[in-house]
Amino acid sequence: MSLSSLNLPVVAPVITLSLTGFVIVGVSLIWSKVSRHVFLLLSLLGLGLSFWFTTSLWNSNTIAFGGMVVADNYALFFNFIFLISAALSMLLSQGEHEQGHLLNAEYFALMLFATVGMVLMAAGSNLLVLFLGLETLSISLYVLAGIKRTEPKSLEAAFKYFLLGAFSSAFLLYGIAFIYGVTGSLSLRYISNFISSAPLASQPLLLLGGLLVVAGLGFKVVMFPFHMWAPDVYEGAATPVTAFMATGSKAAAFAALLRVLHSLFDGASTDWMVILSVLAVLTMFVGNLAAIAQANVKRMLAYSSVAHAGYVLIGLIAWSDAGTAGVLFYLLVYMFMTVGAFAVLSFLSSRQSEFVMLDDFRGLAFRKPAVALAMAVFMFSLAGLPPTAGFVGKFYLFSAAVKAGHTPLVVFAVVNSVISLYYYLGVVVMMFMRKTLRTLSIPPTVPLIACALLVAVLASCALGLFPSYLMDTIEHFAVHLL
Amino acid sequence: MMNFPVLTTIIMLPLVFSGVLLFVKNEQGIKLVGLIGSLLVFFLSLPLYFLFEPVSSMQFVEHTIWIPAIGANYQLGIDGISLFMILLTTFLTPIVVLSSWNSVSRNIKGYMISMLILETGILGVFAALDLFLFYVFWEVVLIPMYFIIGIWGGERRIYAAIKFIIYTIFGSLLMLVAILFIYFYHGGLTGNYTFDILRLQQIYIPLGYQTWLFLAFGLSFAIKIPMFPFHTWLPDAHVEAPTGGSVILAGVLLKMGTYGFLRFCLPFFPHAVVQFVPLMLTLGVVGIIYGALVAMVQPDMKKLVAYSSVSHLGFVVVGIFALNTEGIQGGLIQMVNHGLSTGALFLIVGMIYERRQTRLIADFGGLAKQLPVFTVFFMIVTLSSIGLPGLNGFVGEYLILLGAFLSQKTFAVFAALGVILAAVYMLLMFQRVMFGKLENKENARLKDLSAREISLLLPIVALIIVIGVYPNFILSKMEPTVNSLIEKVQIQRENMALVEAVAGVSHLDER
Amino acid sequence: MNELIAVLVMLIGVGLVVGLLLFLSNWLGPKRENPVKGEPFECGNIPIATTSARFSVKFYTVAILFVLFDIEIAFLFPWAVVFQSLGWTGLVSMSLFIAVLLLGLAYAWKRGALQWD
Repeated sequence: MSLSSLNLPVVAPVITLSLTGFVIVGVSLIWSKVSRHVFLLLSLLGLGLSFWFTTSLWNSNTIAFGGMVVADNYALFFNFIFLISAALSMLLSQGEHEQGHLLNAEYFALMLFATVGMVLMAAGSNLLVLFLGLETLSISLYVLAGIKRTEPKSLEAAFKYFLLGAFSSAFLLYGIAFIYGVTGSLSLRYISNFISSAPLASQPLLLLGGLLVVAGLGFKVVMFPFHMWAPDVYEGAATPVTAFMATGSKAAAFAALLRVLHSLFDGASTDWMVILSVLAVLTMFVGNLAAIAQANVKRMLAYSSVAHAGYVLIGLIAWSDAGTAGVLFYLLVYMFMTVGAFAVLSFLSSRQSEFVMLDDFRGLAFRKPAVALAMAVFMFSLAGLPPTAGFVGKFYLFSAAVKAGHTPLVVFAVVNSVISLYYYLGVVVMMFMRKTLRTLSIPPTVPLIACALLVAVLASCALGLFPSYLMDTIEHFAVHLL
Repeated sequence: MMNFPVLTTIIMLPLVFSGVLLFVKNEQGIKLVGLIGSLLVFFLSLPLYFLFEPVSSMQFVEHTIWIPAIGANYQLGIDGISLFMILLTTFLTPIVVLSSWNSVSRNIKGYMISMLILETGILGVFAALDLFLFYVFWEVVLIPMYFIIGIWGGERRIYAAIKFIIYTIFGSLLMLVAILFIYFYHGGLTGNYTFDILRLQQIYIPLGYQTWLFLAFGLSFAIKIPMFPFHTWLPDAHVEAPTGGSVILAGVLLKMGTYGFLRFCLPFFPHAVVQFVPLMLTLGVVGIIYGALVAMVQPDMKKLVAYSSVSHLGFVVVGIFALNTEGIQGGLIQMVNHGLSTGALFLIVGMIYERRQTRLIADFGGLAKQLPVFTVFFMIVTLSSIGLPGLNGFVGEYLILLGAFLSQKTFAVFAALGVILAAVYMLLMFQRVMFGKLENKENARLKDLSAREISLLLPIVALIIVIGVYPNFILSKMEPTVNSLIEKVQIQRENMALVEAVAGVSHLDER
Repeated sequence: MNELIAVLVMLIGVGLVVGLLLFLSNWLGPKRENPVKGEPFECGNIPIATTSARFSVKFYTVAILFVLFDIEIAFLFPWAVVFQSLGWTGLVSMSLFIAVLLLGLAYAWKRGALQWD
């Protein structure tokens, strides 16, 4: 085996990210007094380079490491989600409230390593690579969740996330072991071939393995009943980390889930659909009903993240090209609107106090009209009202499900959308229709966060009004996945 | 001229003006820009009436590819049904803008922007010929209305705003599922996945599906209209909304529901419609009588007018589901009438409220002497609302009752009861507010209408009289459309019977 | 058969040496008993205490660092066995691997993870 047979250019995005991380750590070791903005600049540079490599790999459909890593458009599309999410989250770290914790080398390096993990999860066509990716992602995130070392809540978040995350990794590994035991391979392609020759129903151990893998990844996508950690972790972690966790790691887990399920179930297996449908419905209901009761916006967004996992599952259950395309589209859109919502929180949090309670939003429209408007756009988009991107995303998912004959499921989803509207509008009500009671001081505008906000708002609107180009692109390659 | 995208222009112009408003700083300027924008839209929409050929086909059609991935296009066009809805909207919006001159005190900029976006949404709903586009506009309408009620409303505005939006979204999301279902059914049948309303109408949907689809669409529209028993959001929304919001809500927004029945339910699900006629007529009649009875006991003028809306829209429903030319024409005319007279009533209540900060009937009495000009307008509008011959209300109600009588006599009798009840509650209110002794001293200081207020009511009252005397200027333009609609329903029903007969035969063959 | 004889000889030889040493130390060494000597020996810690006693976090750092480099060794052995067949690719890969670990070590060192106080 030679270096060239590894086909390293295929993993160029990963290599770039890792190297950037190393460089950042190295720089921090050599010059201890280097300006904090250098790290941000370096990270963004690395992300940009990685983005460029991803673009240049587009449509190449190559494999590396003897087929363990693939660079199909599916993986590359997810790369875009991860990279943008990481970049936007890093911009958020410029906020006054987080500066003390987040502007050191560790933060940026860990964010980059977490991104590496995500990219590997989406690109791995081997269960081991997938597991490696998940671990790289998780371990970085465990540390990131607790990066506000002086705050008990942050430590609690890190600890909870670590314990439950380790638990889920164990599930995943156990599942992988079962699958390996039955099929004798870790390669998804091999497993897929194996299953097409021996139907799943006659392989109870394989079914068990599949279930365990779904459970393991279910933790990361925040699916019921593996969602318990989300609210505490989202609340305790620093806002930019939460934004990254909520969008990037969810997308990565879905990327892996889709790939694994596609290789495990060649045809549409109804038993599976029933299990997943029940889980999807419960996920939506639990997420939305719990979100109503939250007074803390971060917790609310955590439960809404649970609910959105349910919506995305519907696209998965549709089990069609359109469904896959819907999942991809929705995850991208979800990334923009959720990062945007967290960006608003970062934007408004001052050095002394974090701007997270629902009550803090009282009368915001009169103090910061532009920010309030941006938040309203994100809320409407999350609720799925046209003409925002959230609507088109949901439409896409639901239409795939209706096409596949899952109309009752869609009715459930629709009922849930109405429930969700209540708490999303709650924020809007606070901002636009209530008077300010106690005034938290709002810090001066940080241009970089404003940039992130602008990008998120523009994307949330533009993808709603002109989704055509993106949809076409996605549908082209989603066809090849099934 | 026909190539000029008139519809796009009038739909997008308010949006452009709301964008301009963002950069206007002083208050007077904001109001002026809002007024000029809405007036411009109105004048631009006038040629639609004159250029509109009285034929049944869609006119001023525009077609641009929008999202080819899902077969959604930007497709606009109007027929005899939507023409008047669009004109009503463009007519009422400047009036609403002008009515808010003094009554909206805080954040006038946001108010004007919301109003203009609202106008864009409503015009889009009436002009869209693509289901997806229609749905987008349908929901876009909700957001500014939600803000208008929630920000500039009264005491319990937040409750009302949330109730309004949750109710309507619930209905419309179920409609979305139904839209998707039709889309895929049509696509599966023809291989052509499209949201084109005219194409979707051409397929036969089996009765079993039709029933469910009708219910999904119907629920959404019934909530919007609102039909009994889905009306409970309406009184709250109306009472809490600012005057301008109430006018546009009653005048145009509610018509989106009845418009939906005409545009979608009738041609899409003719068989289900026939099946549901008794239910719909019953609900319509119950709405008429219930609305009237509840209106009778309201101490608050605005609430009274709100419940009278429930009653009046019950008439529209009865007219539509009479399923004959007279009924549907009456329903359409009544939609316009209701927009005018109820809009005017809300304006009038708003004017009193601005003066006295109360809307309770008991606080007034004997205003007639104090406010002569006001009294004249109030009188005409009240009589129009009751349906006095010679005014517009009569034309609508007469045609509806005629239509209902031709198809379902019992319902016509009960519906007619509503006319009498309307006279009772409207006249009672008028009498208690305007006549009698001027007992409350505060009322003695009230000033009569200003020039601005007169200019608000004058055009409406003029139209009320014109329609009452010469309704043909509306009827003639809409008649071909209505006829072809009824024809379509008939043809669809026959085709349906045929398809089912064939299916039945083949079923027998299998045995 | 021959190899087994060598093993046998080895076993007997080792047994003899060990036995001899044990016997000599027991015979020659002085014996002064006291209670402290009678306690079980555990790296200087008191052997009987509550189980909830806390270790200093420093132990964990050292332990984790130990595990890390221990695993590195675990990787190095199989790699060394097939070193010839891997060729340059193998050398480069392993160098990279070690470089990354070294960076980590440098980081830990610089941040004071190796300092006890």
